[in-house]
Amino acid sequence: MRLVPKRGRLLTPIVGLLGMAVGWIPDWVWAGGEKATNLVVVADTRRVSGIMKYFANLYNTNTLLFAVWAVVLTVLFGALLGLLMDWLMSRTGIDLKTRKIIEH
Amino acid sequence: MRRRSVLGIMVILLNLCLASAGLCAEVSQGKCLKFDEGSMSITLEEYDTEFSQEHPYGRPTGITSVYNASKAQIGAPPKVGDILRIAYEVKGTERVAIKVMNVTRQDLMKK
Amino acid sequence: MEWLYLYMPIAGVTIFWPGLVLIGFSVGVIGGFFGMGGAWMVTPGLNILGFPMAFAIGTDMAHIAGKSMISTIRHSKFGNVDYKLGLIMVLGTFIGIEVGAQLVMYLERLGKVESTVRWIYVGFLALIGTMVFYDYYKATRKKRMGVVEGEKGAEGITWYKTLHRIKIPPVVHFKTAGFTCSVWLPITVSFMTGLLAGFLGIGGGLLRMPALVYLIGCPTHIAVGTDLFEVMISGLYGAFTYSMKGRIELVAVFVMLTGAAVGAQIGTVATKYAKGYGIRIAFGICVVACMVSIILKEFGFSSLSAAIILVTIGLMSAYITVIMIKGAAQELREKKALARSLAKAA
Repeated sequence: MRLVPKRGRLLTPIVGLLGMAVGWIPDWVWAGGEKATNLVVVADTRRVSGIMKYFANLYNTNTLLFAVWAVVLTVLFGALLGLLMDWLMSRTGIDLKTRKIIEH
Repeated sequence: MRRRSVLGIMVILLNLCLASAGLCAEVSQGKCLKFDEGSMSITLEEYDTEFSQEHPYGRPTGITSVYNASKAQIGAPPKVGDILRIAYEVKGTERVAIKVMNVTRQDLMKK
Repeated sequence: MEWLYLYMPIAGVTIFWPGLVLIGFSVGVIGGFFGMGGAWMVTPGLNILGFPMAFAIGTDMAHIAGKSMISTIRHSKFGNVDYKLGLIMVLGTFIGIEVGAQLVMYLERLGKVESTVRWIYVGFLALIGTMVFYDYYKATRKKRMGVVEGEKGAEGITWYKTLHRIKIPPVVHFKTAGFTCSVWLPITVSFMTGLLAGFLGIGGGLLRMPALVYLIGCPTHIAVGTDLFEVMISGLYGAFTYSMKGRIELVAVFVMLTGAAVGAQIGTVATKYAKGYGIRIAFGICVVACMVSIILKEFGFSSLSAAIILVTIGLMSAYITVIMIKGAAQELREKKALARSLAKAA
Protein backbone atom coordinates (compact mmCIF):
# COMPACT_ATOMS: atom_id res chain seq x y z
CA MET A 1 0.00 0.00 0.00
CA ARG A 2 2.88 2.37 0.61
CA LEU A 3 3.63 2.57 -3.06
CA VAL A 4 0.15 3.57 -4.04
CA PRO A 5 0.02 7.17 -2.74
CA LYS A 6 3.32 7.89 -4.49
CA ARG A 7 1.91 6.82 -7.81
CA GLY A 8 -1.30 8.67 -7.01
CA ARG A 9 0.65 11.87 -6.39
CA LEU A 10 2.21 11.53 -9.77
CA LEU A 11 -0.96 10.43 -11.47
CA THR A 12 -3.16 13.34 -10.47
CA PRO A 13 -1.27 16.12 -12.28
CA ILE A 14 -0.69 13.87 -15.30
CA VAL A 15 -4.37 13.07 -15.61
CA GLY A 16 -5.20 16.72 -15.05
CA LEU A 17 -2.78 17.88 -17.72
CA LEU A 18 -4.06 15.27 -20.15
CA GLY A 19 -7.58 16.46 -19.53
CA MET A 20 -6.46 20.05 -20.15
CA ALA A 21 -4.66 19.10 -23.33
CA VAL A 22 -7.64 17.24 -24.71
CA GLY A 23 -9.94 20.12 -23.87
CA TRP A 24 -7.82 22.80 -25.50
CA ILE A 25 -6.50 21.14 -28.67
CA PRO A 26 -7.51 23.40 -31.52
CA ASP A 27 -10.19 22.01 -33.79
CA TRP A 28 -8.16 22.19 -36.97
CA VAL A 29 -5.88 19.42 -35.69
CA TRP A 30 -8.82 17.06 -35.95
CA ALA A 31 -10.46 18.52 -39.03
CA GLY A 32 -8.49 16.27 -41.34
CA GLY A 33 -10.45 13.18 -40.49
CA GLU A 34 -13.76 14.66 -41.52
CA LYS A 35 -13.35 14.57 -45.28
CA ALA A 36 -13.77 10.82 -45.61
CA THR A 37 -17.37 10.91 -44.39
CA ASN A 38 -19.44 13.03 -46.63
CA LEU A 39 -22.22 13.29 -44.11
CA VAL A 40 -22.46 16.50 -42.15
CA VAL A 41 -25.21 16.76 -39.57
CA VAL A 42 -26.23 19.93 -37.79
CA ALA A 43 -28.29 19.49 -34.64
CA ASP A 44 -31.22 21.86 -34.55
CA THR A 45 -30.55 23.84 -31.38
CA ARG A 46 -33.62 25.98 -31.95
CA ARG A 47 -35.90 23.17 -30.82
CA VAL A 48 -34.21 22.12 -27.59
CA SER A 49 -33.33 23.79 -24.30
CA GLY A 50 -31.29 23.33 -21.16
CA ILE A 51 -28.71 20.57 -21.02
CA MET A 52 -29.87 19.16 -24.36
CA LYS A 53 -29.14 22.52 -25.92
CA TYR A 54 -25.64 22.48 -24.44
CA PHE A 55 -24.87 19.09 -25.98
CA ALA A 56 -26.53 19.85 -29.30
CA ASN A 57 -24.53 23.06 -29.48
CA LEU A 58 -21.35 21.22 -28.60
CA TYR A 59 -22.12 18.71 -31.34
CA ASN A 60 -22.23 21.58 -33.82
CA THR A 61 -19.20 23.47 -32.67
CA ASN A 62 -16.64 21.16 -31.06
CA THR A 63 -16.86 17.50 -32.04
CA LEU A 64 -13.76 16.55 -30.07
CA LEU A 65 -15.12 17.82 -26.80
CA PHE A 66 -18.44 16.24 -27.65
CA ALA A 67 -16.72 12.89 -28.20
CA VAL A 68 -14.88 13.18 -24.87
CA TRP A 69 -18.16 13.95 -23.13
CA ALA A 70 -19.82 11.00 -24.85
CA VAL A 71 -17.18 8.61 -23.54
CA VAL A 72 -17.01 10.13 -20.05
CA LEU A 73 -20.79 10.13 -19.63
CA THR A 74 -21.10 6.57 -20.92
CA VAL A 75 -18.52 5.40 -18.40
CA LEU A 76 -20.11 7.34 -15.53
CA PHE A 77 -23.63 6.19 -16.35
CA GLY A 78 -22.43 2.62 -16.86
CA ALA A 79 -20.64 2.60 -13.51
CA LEU A 80 -23.62 4.16 -11.75
CA LEU A 81 -26.05 1.62 -13.18
CA GLY A 82 -23.59 -1.19 -12.48
CA LEU A 83 -23.26 -0.28 -8.82
CA LEU A 84 -26.99 0.29 -8.46
CA MET A 85 -27.81 -3.09 -9.99
CA ASP A 86 -25.13 -4.70 -7.86
CA TRP A 87 -26.80 -3.38 -4.75
CA LEU A 88 -30.22 -4.53 -5.95
CA MET A 89 -28.94 -8.01 -6.83
CA SER A 90 -27.22 -8.41 -3.48
CA ARG A 91 -30.61 -7.96 -1.81
CA THR A 92 -32.08 -10.99 -3.59
CA GLY A 93 -29.94 -13.32 -1.51
CA ILE A 94 -28.32 -15.08 -4.45
CA ASP A 95 -24.68 -16.00 -3.99
CA LEU A 96 -22.88 -13.74 -6.43
CA LYS A 97 -19.33 -14.48 -5.45
CA THR A 98 -18.79 -18.12 -6.33
CA ARG A 99 -19.68 -20.45 -9.12
CA LYS A 100 -18.50 -23.85 -10.18
CA ILE A 101 -17.12 -24.24 -13.66
CA ILE A 102 -19.04 -27.13 -15.10
CA GLU A 103 -18.39 -27.69 -18.78
CA HIS A 104 -21.01 -30.45 -19.15
CA MET B 1 -6.02 6.76 -3.58
CA ARG B 2 -9.79 6.99 -3.96
CA ARG B 3 -9.81 10.67 -3.03
CA ARG B 4 -7.08 11.36 -5.54
CA SER B 5 -8.85 9.56 -8.37
CA VAL B 6 -12.05 11.42 -7.56
CA LEU B 7 -10.01 14.62 -7.64
CA GLY B 8 -8.55 13.64 -11.01
CA ILE B 9 -12.00 13.03 -12.44
CA MET B 10 -13.21 16.37 -11.10
CA VAL B 11 -10.28 18.14 -12.75
CA ILE B 12 -11.13 16.55 -16.10
CA LEU B 13 -14.80 17.42 -15.81
CA LEU B 14 -14.00 20.99 -14.81
CA ASN B 15 -11.74 21.27 -17.83
CA LEU B 16 -14.46 19.98 -20.09
CA CYS B 17 -16.84 22.62 -18.81
CA LEU B 18 -14.29 25.42 -19.08
CA ALA B 19 -13.12 24.45 -22.53
CA SER B 20 -16.63 24.66 -23.89
CA ALA B 21 -17.44 28.03 -22.42
CA GLY B 22 -17.70 30.84 -24.93
CA LEU B 23 -18.48 28.57 -27.84
CA CYS B 24 -22.01 29.23 -28.86
CA ALA B 25 -23.26 28.73 -32.36
CA GLU B 26 -26.63 29.58 -33.74
CA VAL B 27 -28.59 27.47 -36.14
CA SER B 28 -30.79 28.46 -39.01
CA GLN B 29 -32.66 26.41 -41.54
CA GLY B 30 -34.15 27.35 -44.85
CA LYS B 31 -34.07 27.23 -48.61
CA CYS B 32 -30.85 27.78 -50.52
CA LEU B 33 -31.29 30.70 -52.92
CA LYS B 34 -27.71 30.95 -54.15
CA PHE B 35 -24.44 29.08 -53.64
CA ASP B 36 -21.33 30.84 -54.93
CA GLU B 37 -18.54 28.29 -55.14
CA GLY B 38 -15.89 30.95 -55.80
CA SER B 39 -16.39 32.94 -52.62
CA MET B 40 -18.09 30.03 -50.85
CA SER B 41 -21.06 32.13 -49.82
CA ILE B 42 -24.54 30.78 -49.32
CA THR B 43 -27.68 32.85 -49.53
CA LEU B 44 -30.49 31.36 -47.52
CA GLU B 45 -34.15 32.14 -47.11
CA GLU B 46 -34.80 31.44 -43.47
CA TYR B 47 -37.69 29.29 -42.28
CA ASP B 48 -39.25 29.41 -38.83
CA THR B 49 -39.68 26.53 -36.34
CA GLU B 50 -43.40 25.98 -36.87
CA PHE B 51 -43.13 22.43 -38.22
CA SER B 52 -46.24 20.72 -39.56
CA GLN B 53 -47.34 18.14 -42.10
CA GLU B 54 -47.46 20.72 -44.90
CA HIS B 55 -44.29 22.45 -43.79
CA PRO B 56 -41.92 19.74 -42.48
CA TYR B 57 -39.01 22.20 -42.51
CA GLY B 58 -40.90 25.19 -41.12
CA ARG B 59 -42.63 28.08 -42.89
CA PRO B 60 -40.79 30.68 -44.99
CA THR B 61 -40.22 33.92 -43.14
CA GLY B 62 -39.11 35.97 -46.12
CA ILE B 63 -35.85 36.95 -44.38
CA THR B 64 -32.76 36.23 -46.46
CA SER B 65 -29.24 36.17 -45.10
CA VAL B 66 -25.77 35.46 -46.47
CA TYR B 67 -23.36 32.98 -44.87
CA ASN B 68 -19.62 32.77 -45.36
CA ALA B 69 -18.98 29.05 -45.75
CA SER B 70 -15.30 29.21 -46.69
CA LYS B 71 -14.22 27.45 -43.50
CA ALA B 72 -17.31 25.31 -43.00
CA GLN B 73 -17.68 21.57 -43.22
CA ILE B 74 -20.10 20.98 -46.04
CA GLY B 75 -21.81 17.66 -46.66
CA ALA B 76 -23.55 17.14 -49.97
CA PRO B 77 -22.90 20.28 -52.14
CA PRO B 78 -25.86 22.67 -51.89
CA LYS B 79 -27.96 23.32 -54.98
CA VAL B 80 -30.51 26.12 -55.37
CA GLY B 81 -33.78 25.02 -53.81
CA ASP B 82 -32.23 22.59 -51.33
CA ILE B 83 -33.21 22.80 -47.68
CA LEU B 84 -30.05 23.58 -45.69
CA ARG B 85 -29.40 23.69 -41.97
CA ILE B 86 -26.46 25.86 -41.02
CA ALA B 87 -24.66 26.20 -37.72
CA TYR B 88 -22.96 29.61 -37.65
CA GLU B 89 -21.26 32.18 -35.51
CA VAL B 90 -21.75 35.89 -35.84
CA LYS B 91 -18.38 37.63 -36.26
CA GLY B 92 -18.86 41.38 -36.56
CA THR B 93 -21.51 41.80 -39.21
CA GLU B 94 -20.74 38.51 -40.93
CA ARG B 95 -22.37 35.15 -40.37
CA VAL B 96 -19.57 32.58 -40.49
CA ALA B 97 -20.85 29.04 -41.11
CA ILE B 98 -19.29 26.17 -39.12
CA LYS B 99 -21.27 23.28 -40.57
CA VAL B 100 -23.63 23.11 -43.48
CA MET B 101 -26.07 20.22 -43.55
CA ASN B 102 -27.92 19.47 -46.73
CA VAL B 103 -31.25 18.26 -45.40
CA THR B 104 -32.66 17.55 -48.87
CA ARG B 105 -29.81 15.53 -50.26
CA GLN B 106 -28.71 13.33 -47.44
CA ASP B 107 -30.73 10.46 -46.19
CA LEU B 108 -30.02 9.86 -42.53
CA MET B 109 -32.17 6.77 -42.53
CA LYS B 110 -29.84 4.98 -44.90
CA LYS B 111 -26.84 3.16 -43.49
CA MET C 1 -49.58 8.60 -25.59
CA GLU C 2 -47.11 11.36 -26.25
CA TRP C 3 -44.97 10.53 -23.23
CA LEU C 4 -43.97 7.27 -24.90
CA TYR C 5 -42.07 9.19 -27.53
CA LEU C 6 -38.74 10.86 -26.92
CA TYR C 7 -37.18 13.62 -28.95
CA MET C 8 -33.63 12.94 -30.19
CA PRO C 9 -31.96 16.35 -30.24
CA ILE C 10 -29.24 15.56 -32.77
CA ALA C 11 -31.12 13.38 -35.21
CA GLY C 12 -34.22 15.55 -34.85
CA VAL C 13 -36.70 12.66 -34.74
CA THR C 14 -39.03 11.31 -32.07
CA ILE C 15 -38.53 7.67 -31.12
CA PHE C 16 -40.72 5.19 -29.24
CA TRP C 17 -38.45 4.90 -26.20
CA PRO C 18 -39.81 1.67 -24.64
CA GLY C 19 -38.63 0.03 -27.86
CA LEU C 20 -35.10 1.25 -27.18
CA VAL C 21 -35.27 -0.03 -23.60
CA LEU C 22 -36.43 -3.43 -24.87
CA ILE C 23 -33.60 -3.68 -27.41
CA GLY C 24 -31.10 -2.71 -24.72
CA PHE C 25 -32.57 -5.24 -22.31
CA SER C 26 -32.59 -8.26 -24.62
CA VAL C 27 -29.19 -7.62 -26.13
CA GLY C 28 -27.96 -7.03 -22.58
CA VAL C 29 -29.18 -10.48 -21.54
CA ILE C 30 -27.54 -12.15 -24.54
CA GLY C 31 -24.33 -10.14 -24.29
CA GLY C 32 -23.89 -10.88 -20.59
CA PHE C 33 -24.39 -14.58 -21.22
CA PHE C 34 -22.11 -14.98 -24.24
CA GLY C 35 -19.60 -12.22 -23.68
CA MET C 36 -20.22 -10.32 -26.85
CA GLY C 37 -21.36 -6.84 -27.73
CA GLY C 38 -24.12 -7.87 -30.08
CA ALA C 39 -23.92 -4.87 -32.41
CA TRP C 40 -25.26 -6.97 -35.27
CA MET C 41 -28.41 -7.63 -33.26
CA VAL C 42 -29.13 -4.00 -32.48
CA THR C 43 -29.20 -2.57 -36.00
CA PRO C 44 -32.35 -4.30 -37.32
CA GLY C 45 -34.23 -3.40 -34.15
CA LEU C 46 -33.24 0.25 -34.46
CA ASN C 47 -34.25 0.17 -38.10
CA ILE C 48 -37.78 -0.94 -37.21
CA LEU C 49 -38.13 1.80 -34.58
CA GLY C 50 -37.32 4.34 -37.29
CA PHE C 51 -34.00 5.31 -35.80
CA PRO C 52 -31.77 7.10 -38.34
CA MET C 53 -29.17 4.60 -39.51
CA ALA C 54 -26.52 7.30 -39.81
CA PHE C 55 -26.36 7.30 -36.01
CA ALA C 56 -26.76 3.57 -35.49
CA ILE C 57 -23.13 2.46 -35.27
CA GLY C 58 -21.88 5.12 -32.87
CA THR C 59 -24.95 4.84 -30.64
CA ASP C 60 -24.51 1.10 -30.61
CA MET C 61 -20.83 1.22 -29.76
CA ALA C 62 -21.34 3.56 -26.81
CA HIS C 63 -24.25 1.58 -25.41
CA ILE C 64 -22.31 -1.66 -25.79
CA ALA C 65 -19.31 -0.19 -23.99
CA GLY C 66 -21.48 0.90 -21.07
CA LYS C 67 -23.32 -2.41 -20.96
CA SER C 68 -20.13 -4.47 -21.09
CA MET C 69 -18.85 -2.45 -18.19
CA ILE C 70 -21.86 -3.47 -16.11
CA SER C 71 -21.43 -7.12 -17.12
CA THR C 72 -17.69 -7.02 -16.47
CA ILE C 73 -18.28 -5.74 -12.93
CA ARG C 74 -20.59 -8.69 -12.27
CA HIS C 75 -18.39 -11.30 -13.99
CA SER C 76 -15.41 -9.95 -12.11
CA LYS C 77 -17.09 -10.79 -8.78
CA PHE C 78 -17.56 -14.37 -9.97
CA GLY C 79 -13.86 -14.47 -10.79
CA ASN C 80 -14.65 -14.88 -14.48
CA VAL C 81 -12.36 -12.11 -15.71
CA ASP C 82 -8.67 -12.74 -16.22
CA TYR C 83 -7.47 -9.14 -16.24
CA LYS C 84 -3.90 -10.06 -17.05
CA LEU C 85 -5.01 -11.96 -20.13
CA GLY C 86 -7.48 -9.20 -20.99
CA LEU C 87 -4.88 -6.43 -20.80
CA ILE C 88 -2.37 -8.38 -22.87
CA MET C 89 -5.06 -8.99 -25.46
CA VAL C 90 -6.07 -5.32 -25.58
CA LEU C 91 -2.71 -4.65 -27.19
CA GLY C 92 -3.21 -7.12 -30.03
CA THR C 93 -6.86 -6.14 -30.44
CA PHE C 94 -6.10 -2.45 -30.97
CA ILE C 95 -3.28 -2.95 -33.45
CA GLY C 96 -5.43 -5.51 -35.23
CA ILE C 97 -8.46 -3.21 -35.49
CA GLU C 98 -6.37 -0.38 -36.93
CA VAL C 99 -4.65 -2.62 -39.48
CA GLY C 100 -8.02 -4.12 -40.44
CA ALA C 101 -9.58 -0.68 -40.92
CA GLN C 102 -6.65 0.40 -43.09
CA LEU C 103 -7.03 -2.75 -45.14
CA VAL C 104 -10.68 -1.96 -45.83
CA MET C 105 -9.79 1.58 -46.92
CA TYR C 106 -7.13 0.17 -49.24
CA LEU C 107 -9.67 -2.22 -50.74
CA GLU C 108 -12.20 0.59 -51.02
CA ARG C 109 -9.84 2.39 -53.35
CA LEU C 110 -9.74 -0.73 -55.51
CA GLY C 111 -13.53 -0.84 -55.44
CA LYS C 112 -16.26 -3.34 -54.58
CA VAL C 113 -15.61 -4.03 -50.93
CA GLU C 114 -18.97 -4.44 -49.27
CA SER C 115 -19.94 -7.68 -50.87
CA THR C 116 -16.47 -9.20 -50.39
CA VAL C 117 -16.40 -8.20 -46.73
CA ARG C 118 -19.83 -9.68 -46.19
CA TRP C 119 -18.88 -13.01 -47.76
CA ILE C 120 -15.68 -13.25 -45.70
CA TYR C 121 -17.80 -12.62 -42.63
CA VAL C 122 -20.21 -15.38 -43.65
CA GLY C 123 -17.26 -17.71 -44.21
CA PHE C 124 -15.94 -17.10 -40.71
CA LEU C 125 -19.33 -17.49 -39.11
CA ALA C 126 -19.78 -20.80 -40.92
CA LEU C 127 -16.38 -21.89 -39.67
CA ILE C 128 -17.16 -20.95 -36.06
CA GLY C 129 -20.60 -22.52 -36.23
CA THR C 130 -19.18 -25.79 -37.55
CA MET C 131 -16.45 -25.74 -34.93
CA VAL C 132 -18.87 -25.23 -32.05
CA PHE C 133 -21.19 -28.06 -33.13
CA TYR C 134 -18.37 -30.42 -34.11
CA ASP C 135 -16.74 -29.81 -30.73
CA TYR C 136 -20.01 -30.55 -28.95
CA TYR C 137 -20.52 -33.73 -30.99
CA LYS C 138 -16.99 -34.95 -30.27
CA ALA C 139 -17.18 -34.09 -26.58
CA THR C 140 -20.50 -35.84 -26.00
CA ARG C 141 -19.24 -38.93 -27.85
CA LYS C 142 -16.15 -39.03 -25.67
CA LYS C 143 -18.27 -38.55 -22.58
CA ARG C 144 -20.55 -41.41 -23.56
CA MET C 145 -17.54 -43.64 -24.08
CA GLY C 146 -16.34 -42.66 -20.64
CA VAL C 147 -13.21 -40.81 -21.70
CA VAL C 148 -12.36 -38.09 -19.20
CA GLU C 149 -9.12 -36.17 -19.52
CA GLY C 150 -7.99 -33.63 -17.01
CA GLU C 151 -10.12 -31.61 -14.63
CA LYS C 152 -12.25 -30.00 -17.33
CA GLY C 153 -14.00 -33.25 -18.25
CA ALA C 154 -14.46 -34.53 -21.78
CA GLU C 155 -13.56 -31.99 -24.40
CA GLY C 156 -13.97 -32.10 -28.15
CA ILE C 157 -11.54 -29.71 -29.76
CA THR C 158 -8.26 -29.30 -27.91
CA TRP C 159 -6.13 -27.29 -30.35
CA TYR C 160 -5.01 -25.05 -27.52
CA LYS C 161 -3.06 -27.92 -26.00
CA THR C 162 -0.81 -27.96 -29.05
CA LEU C 163 -0.57 -24.17 -29.04
CA HIS C 164 0.39 -24.15 -25.36
CA ARG C 165 3.37 -26.31 -26.21
CA ILE C 166 4.96 -23.56 -28.31
CA LYS C 167 7.01 -21.89 -25.63
CA ILE C 168 8.47 -18.74 -27.13
CA PRO C 169 9.60 -16.56 -24.21
CA PRO C 170 8.28 -14.79 -22.26
CA VAL C 171 6.08 -17.57 -20.91
CA VAL C 172 3.33 -16.34 -18.58
CA HIS C 173 1.01 -18.03 -16.14
CA PHE C 174 -2.59 -16.84 -16.13
CA LYS C 175 -3.87 -17.52 -12.66
CA THR C 176 -7.59 -16.93 -13.11
CA ALA C 177 -7.84 -18.75 -16.41
CA GLY C 178 -5.56 -21.45 -15.05
CA PHE C 179 -3.01 -22.09 -17.79
CA THR C 180 0.54 -21.23 -18.75
CA CYS C 181 1.58 -20.27 -22.26
CA SER C 182 3.80 -18.00 -24.28
CA VAL C 183 2.66 -14.38 -24.11
CA TRP C 184 2.70 -14.35 -27.91
CA LEU C 185 -0.24 -16.74 -28.14
CA PRO C 186 -2.89 -14.33 -26.76
CA ILE C 187 -1.23 -11.41 -28.57
CA THR C 188 -1.34 -13.20 -31.91
CA VAL C 189 -4.88 -14.47 -31.43
CA SER C 190 -6.16 -11.05 -30.33
CA PHE C 191 -4.35 -9.42 -33.25
CA MET C 192 -6.03 -11.80 -35.68
CA THR C 193 -9.50 -11.34 -34.18
CA GLY C 194 -8.93 -7.57 -33.98
CA LEU C 195 -7.84 -7.52 -37.61
CA LEU C 196 -10.99 -9.34 -38.63
CA ALA C 197 -13.16 -7.10 -36.47
CA GLY C 198 -11.66 -3.96 -37.98
CA PHE C 199 -11.94 -5.41 -41.45
CA LEU C 200 -15.53 -6.52 -41.03
CA GLY C 201 -16.55 -3.43 -39.07
CA ILE C 202 -17.87 -5.38 -36.09
CA GLY C 203 -17.10 -5.44 -32.38
CA GLY C 204 -15.41 -8.81 -32.58
CA GLY C 205 -16.95 -10.59 -29.59
CA LEU C 206 -18.49 -13.10 -31.94
CA LEU C 207 -15.00 -14.11 -33.08
CA ARG C 208 -13.02 -13.53 -29.89
CA MET C 209 -15.16 -15.62 -27.56
CA PRO C 210 -14.64 -18.90 -29.50
CA ALA C 211 -10.98 -17.98 -30.11
CA LEU C 212 -10.49 -17.69 -26.35
CA VAL C 213 -12.05 -21.10 -25.84
CA TYR C 214 -10.57 -23.09 -28.71
CA LEU C 215 -7.23 -21.43 -29.41
CA ILE C 216 -6.19 -19.99 -26.04
CA GLY C 217 -7.81 -22.65 -23.90
CA CYS C 218 -9.92 -20.63 -21.48
CA PRO C 219 -12.75 -22.33 -19.61
CA THR C 220 -16.01 -21.14 -21.20
CA HIS C 221 -17.03 -18.98 -18.23
CA ILE C 222 -13.71 -17.16 -18.13
CA ALA C 223 -13.74 -16.69 -21.90
CA VAL C 224 -17.09 -14.91 -21.53
CA GLY C 225 -15.91 -12.60 -18.74
CA THR C 226 -12.55 -11.77 -20.30
CA ASP C 227 -14.10 -11.14 -23.68
CA LEU C 228 -16.55 -8.68 -22.13
CA PHE C 229 -13.62 -6.76 -20.71
CA GLU C 230 -12.20 -6.52 -24.26
CA VAL C 231 -15.58 -5.51 -25.69
CA MET C 232 -15.82 -2.72 -23.12
CA ILE C 233 -12.45 -1.21 -24.04
CA SER C 234 -12.83 -1.48 -27.80
CA GLY C 235 -16.42 -0.22 -27.48
CA LEU C 236 -15.27 2.93 -25.69
CA TYR C 237 -12.65 3.51 -28.34
CA GLY C 238 -15.24 2.98 -31.09
CA ALA C 239 -17.70 5.30 -29.37
CA PHE C 240 -15.03 8.00 -29.28
CA THR C 241 -14.08 7.78 -32.96
CA TYR C 242 -17.70 7.63 -34.13
CA SER C 243 -18.62 10.59 -31.93
CA MET C 244 -15.79 12.50 -33.57
CA LYS C 245 -17.51 11.86 -36.88
CA GLY C 246 -20.79 13.01 -35.37
CA ARG C 247 -22.41 9.61 -35.71
CA ILE C 248 -23.93 9.22 -32.26
CA GLU C 249 -27.19 10.01 -30.52
CA LEU C 250 -26.41 10.33 -26.83
CA VAL C 251 -29.99 10.33 -25.57
CA ALA C 252 -30.61 6.97 -27.21
CA VAL C 253 -27.40 5.62 -25.66
CA PHE C 254 -28.66 6.37 -22.15
CA VAL C 255 -32.13 4.99 -22.77
CA MET C 256 -30.74 1.73 -24.17
CA LEU C 257 -28.17 1.49 -21.41
CA THR C 258 -30.89 1.64 -18.76
CA GLY C 259 -32.55 -1.43 -20.26
CA ALA C 260 -29.21 -3.12 -20.78
CA ALA C 261 -28.24 -2.70 -17.12
CA VAL C 262 -31.10 -4.96 -16.04
CA GLY C 263 -30.58 -7.38 -18.93
CA ALA C 264 -26.87 -7.68 -18.27
CA GLN C 265 -27.53 -8.80 -14.67
CA ILE C 266 -29.84 -11.55 -15.83
CA GLY C 267 -27.49 -12.74 -18.56
CA THR C 268 -24.44 -12.67 -16.33
CA VAL C 269 -26.01 -14.39 -13.35
CA ALA C 270 -27.45 -17.01 -15.71
CA THR C 271 -23.90 -18.14 -16.58
CA LYS C 272 -23.66 -19.34 -12.99
CA TYR C 273 -26.42 -21.87 -13.54
CA ALA C 274 -25.48 -22.82 -17.10
CA LYS C 275 -23.03 -25.50 -18.08
CA GLY C 276 -20.08 -24.56 -20.26
CA TYR C 277 -21.26 -26.67 -23.17
CA GLY C 278 -24.78 -25.27 -22.85
CA ILE C 279 -23.34 -21.78 -23.35
CA ARG C 280 -21.28 -23.00 -26.30
CA ILE C 281 -24.29 -24.54 -28.05
CA ALA C 282 -26.55 -21.52 -27.56
CA PHE C 283 -23.69 -19.39 -28.85
CA GLY C 284 -23.41 -21.61 -31.91
CA ILE C 285 -27.11 -21.10 -32.64
CA CYS C 286 -26.62 -17.31 -32.47
CA VAL C 287 -23.69 -17.57 -34.86
CA VAL C 288 -25.77 -19.54 -37.36
CA ALA C 289 -28.65 -17.05 -37.08
CA CYS C 290 -26.26 -14.19 -37.72
CA MET C 291 -24.85 -16.00 -40.76
CA VAL C 292 -28.26 -16.76 -42.25
CA SER C 293 -29.37 -13.15 -41.76
CA ILE C 294 -26.31 -11.83 -43.60
CA ILE C 295 -26.80 -14.23 -46.51
CA LEU C 296 -30.46 -13.22 -46.78
CA LYS C 297 -29.48 -9.55 -46.74
CA GLU C 298 -26.91 -10.12 -49.46
CA PHE C 299 -29.66 -11.51 -51.70
CA GLY C 300 -32.01 -8.63 -50.95
CA PHE C 301 -34.34 -10.16 -48.37
CA SER C 302 -33.78 -7.40 -45.82
CA SER C 303 -37.03 -7.74 -43.89
CA LEU C 304 -36.72 -11.52 -43.63
CA SER C 305 -33.16 -11.09 -42.39
CA ALA C 306 -34.32 -8.60 -39.74
CA ALA C 307 -37.12 -10.96 -38.74
CA ILE C 308 -34.67 -13.83 -38.20
CA ILE C 309 -32.44 -11.70 -36.00
CA LEU C 310 -35.35 -10.38 -33.96
CA VAL C 311 -36.81 -13.86 -33.43
CA THR C 312 -33.38 -15.16 -32.37
CA ILE C 313 -32.97 -12.30 -29.89
CA GLY C 314 -36.44 -12.86 -28.48
CA LEU C 315 -36.09 -16.62 -28.03
CA MET C 316 -32.51 -16.47 -26.79
CA SER C 317 -33.14 -13.81 -24.16
CA ALA C 318 -36.26 -15.64 -23.01
CA TYR C 319 -34.29 -18.92 -22.74
CA ILE C 320 -31.51 -17.26 -20.75
CA THR C 321 -33.98 -15.50 -18.45
CA VAL C 322 -35.64 -18.85 -17.72
CA ILE C 323 -32.24 -20.39 -16.88
CA MET C 324 -31.52 -17.54 -14.49
CA ILE C 325 -34.90 -17.56 -12.75
CA LYS C 326 -34.97 -21.35 -12.39
CA GLY C 327 -31.41 -21.48 -11.10
CA ALA C 328 -31.90 -18.63 -8.66
CA ALA C 329 -35.16 -20.08 -7.35
CA GLN C 330 -33.50 -23.46 -6.81
CA GLU C 331 -30.58 -21.87 -5.00
CA LEU C 332 -32.83 -19.85 -2.71
CA ARG C 333 -34.98 -22.91 -1.99
CA GLU C 334 -31.91 -24.93 -1.06
CA LYS C 335 -30.66 -22.16 1.18
CA LYS C 336 -33.99 -22.00 2.98
CA ALA C 337 -34.04 -25.77 3.41
CA LEU C 338 -30.53 -25.70 4.81
CA ALA C 339 -31.44 -22.97 7.29
CA ARG C 340 -34.51 -24.94 8.38
CA SER C 341 -32.56 -28.13 8.97
CA LEU C 342 -29.91 -26.21 10.87
CA ALA C 343 -32.58 -24.67 13.06
CA LYS C 344 -34.05 -28.11 13.68
CA ALA C 345 -30.68 -29.54 14.64
CA ALA C 346 -30.18 -26.73 17.10
